[in-house]
Amino acid sequence: MDNKDQFIHALSTQQWATLRVLVDLIIPADDFPGGWEAGVGEYLRRQFQEALQATLPLYQGGLDALEREAHIRGARSFAMLDSGVQQALLHQVEVGDVLAEWPVSAAAFFATVIEHAMEGFYSDPANGGNRDAVAWHMVGFEVRG
Amino acid sequence: MTVYDVIVVGAGAGGGVVAGLLAEAGKRVLLLERGRDLAFSDVGRDHLRNHRLAQYGHNTGPEINGNPRVFVDLSGQSHVVRPHESQYQNNAACVGGGTRVFGAQAWRFLPQDFAMAQQYGVPAGSSLADWPISYADLEPFYEQAEWEVGVAGAAASNHGFWPRRRDYPMPALEVHRQGAVLRAGAAALGWETVPVPLLINTVPHGGRPACIHCQHCVGFACPVEAKNGTHNTLIPRALATGRCELITEAMVTRIVTDAAGHVAGVEYIDRDEQRHEVRAEVVVCSAGAIETARLLLNSATAKHPQGLGNQHDQVGRHLQGHYYPGAVGLMAETIYDGQGPGVSTATCHFNHGNEGLIGGGMLADEFIALPILFWKALLPPDVPRWGLANKRFMRENYRRVLRVMGPVQEIPSPEARVMVEPTVRDRWGLPVARLSGATHPETVRTAAFMAERAHQWLQAAGATRVWGSTPSLHLSGGQHQAGTCRMGHEPHTSVVDAWGRVHGHDNLFVADGSVHVTNGGFNPVLTILALAFRMADHLVRTW
Repeated sequence: MDNKDQFIHALSTQQWATLRVLVDLIIPADDFPGGWEAGVGEYLRRQFQEALQATLPLYQGGLDALEREAHIRGARSFAMLDSGVQQALLHQVEVGDVLAEWPVSAAAFFATVIEHAMEGFYSDPANGGNRDAVAWHMVGFEVRG
Repeated sequence: MTVYDVIVVGAGAGGGVVAGLLAEAGKRVLLLERGRDLAFSDVGRDHLRNHRLAQYGHNTGPEINGNPRVFVDLSGQSHVVRPHESQYQNNAACVGGGTRVFGAQAWRFLPQDFAMAQQYGVPAGSSLADWPISYADLEPFYEQAEWEVGVAGAAASNHGFWPRRRDYPMPALEVHRQGAVLRAGAAALGWETVPVPLLINTVPHGGRPACIHCQHCVGFACPVEAKNGTHNTLIPRALATGRCELITEAMVTRIVTDAAGHVAGVEYIDRDEQRHEVRAEVVVCSAGAIETARLLLNSATAKHPQGLGNQHDQVGRHLQGHYYPGAVGLMAETIYDGQGPGVSTATCHFNHGNEGLIGGGMLADEFIALPILFWKALLPPDVPRWGLANKRFMRENYRRVLRVMGPVQEIPSPEARVMVEPTVRDRWGLPVARLSGATHPETVRTAAFMAERAHQWLQAAGATRVWGSTPSLHLSGGQHQAGTCRMGHEPHTSVVDAWGRVHGHDNLFVADGSVHVTNGGFNPVLTILALAFRMADHLVRTW
């Protein structure tokens, strides 16, 4: 197993799927790409082997708990909820107003994912996200020298 | 064993100058630097690991692992912190030190800044004091620093704040959109503005080109070496003499004293972990206000049980940096023009003479903001942190935001201090720096006042909305760290004399921000450079 595989397995397939939906709610697509398309997933994959290794338990616990929140709301998965319901759920998660059992702080989990998603989206492409400097084009930050 | 005339510990602003001038004066110099000599590509442009946003590390030394410090918070709780964590109070460890990656603001302190206690009195609980030297004593050396390191500025626009004999060697940076808007705003308020003096080539200078106005200035290295530090001026001059040996990745463990207590040299560990003892007639500490204090304290012997120069418990006290109040304003039109560095315009209208306050500070516009830093630090408090509304704010307003901020002159506290912590060791086995205390509360009052002035300026410049918070009581140091080996005539209340010589030691000197009695309401690097020029001149003349 090479490094890449190893860190894809940092999260389970289900956890990656949940994370993808979550990242695209944090940075939704408009006429510029959403977070995942812009490379936030790749950013996280890389950071999980380095700087963010210690936050993996927070991600694993939080992503699983988010799925349980979806089940409590009668959906098979977080991804299957209507986007309005997803957003409403995240507003509750944001303030820790949750229904399911969370092994980690819901609010801390969500604040952390927001912070990391933005880092992937807005920092330099060499960190793995911000594909083709799309976020910089969007805001108008041009590297000219 | 090689014997040197002088050993300089730390190749930053102060150490680089001392090494250059002493080598040119014929002395054999050993310049020891714990960091590396970094190429532009080594520093890179990582937006998460730099000296503006050190989220996960730095683009210079010290390395994240093996270089801890202990930070004691205001409740007395101790924390082991790493170099990229803010309580570490880091400055760049590399050849050039902070000058390798700084924003290059090249301010002289004002004449009043050297006599704060005399002008304002000493508030209870503060160690505010006057310098043993005046602006006039330092003026020739400010000029020398401006010419030999290279500053662009406009003496004619100084409004008489700084008496000076000679203009800058280079014209001030061209004013771009944000500077023009702020100059108009200040004029409407009746505040005079000053073009920000910069250690940046605005025309070719020193065999290197002019600034290309890139977008990665402060926190990063210059792609064309138009930013002037000791790494591209005084240190190359030192090496060109053939009399200066620069050893990088060399960690000085202690200053060596003989049985009589006389300074004989230093001990250092090289990059291959070999320990060396080297001798010299003179030792100069230029490791920065935290590491210089740590080195003096870690050099304790039976003869000097409290550390060198510390017989009156002064080493490490009065640690100060700068509070940085400011504000963010939303302009009706695009203000961003992408022309780096960004900073161009300051007002010194509030450095002194503020009713009911002790001192004040300078305010200036800001460097181009990294987009991720903009997201983390500059959004209005009511913009949602996520979702389409957040993305939309970023899209629509990154180019419409204008910032004003500046350093407040800190009122020092003797309890803001560097000690050493024997229970926590670095990778060389040395007790680490232990940082505790906070500035005097007067600093916080001044910071609140300056934040209001920043709001006022942005409003006058046409901002439709202004936001920003005021700093609360904390310890500062960081890139502007100063004060831990303060200058003075009196050994009971200071560590070095008016030349930088450690009281009680005829051959041990300090040349870095440690010696600042107070730290001005300005970026301190030009003062560090000027004091080093003055100290080196004195050493050469009296040796």
